[in-house]
Amino acid sequence: MSSAGRRLRAACAALGLALLPLLASAAPPLDTPGGAQGALLPRDSRDAAIFRGGLVYSNYCVTCHGINADGNGRAARLYNPRPANLRMSDKNDAYFALIIRMGGEALGRSPFMPPWGAELTDEQTNDLAAYLRSINARPKE
Amino acid sequence: MNRRGIAGVAAAVMLALAGAVWAAEHVVSQKGKAFSVKKLIVKVGDTVKFLNEDPFSHNIFSLSDAKSFDLGSYGQGQSKSVTFDKAGTVEVECAVHPDMKVVIEVTK
Repeated sequence: MSSAGRRLRAACAALGLALLPLLASAAPPLDTPGGAQGALLPRDSRDAAIFRGGLVYSNYCVTCHGINADGNGRAARLYNPRPANLRMSDKNDAYFALIIRMGGEALGRSPFMPPWGAELTDEQTNDLAAYLRSINARPKE
Repeated sequence: MNRRGIAGVAAAVMLALAGAVWAAEHVVSQKGKAFSVKKLIVKVGDTVKFLNEDPFSHNIFSLSDAKSFDLGSYGQGQSKSVTFDKAGTVEVECAVHPDMKVVIEVTK
């Protein structure tokens, strides 16, 4: 490296060191209102439930019901009847939670829908129901 | 049927019986939300018994070209078997636990 290059590198390092305290003081602490925590959705809000429910859906349901929740997941071809098109479901949230917990067979629906009661917590189940409600595209009667 | 025909039928029956006798059964258990092995090599005609040793249900399935199947949900102590009748690579998953995977190589 030339001497000019060394001087430039040293100047950059010095500038970085000089700016560090400034950057640290500009960042709000995480545990105070207005900090990063304050930017999050309130935990009990419906939006937070929908967000969490979307994560549950992506992890557990997408294989059969598909990324668009239209029943066209990659495993859908294994099943007859095919997985439900959840976007067009006419069921209410209580029914969603029930069939998620107990599986399809217990409710006289497809035996291929597994019971998730042992895998998902009540909060996850309710979040998932909230997410399914949020993406429902069935025309209102 | 002449003697040659009878001998041919007898040979075919013996071959079929030999195949049945030599086909092996492998056991892959599910415990702690994991398969007991990550990879298994079996021969065409072999059977794999999927045994659930967890206190909750598993739903084992595969979408592989060499073997597509869905065993449905089954609980603790129960097992379901699959016979692999075609050579190839079969990726087996659990519908309830997305992190569970085992690869079964089916060889001739």
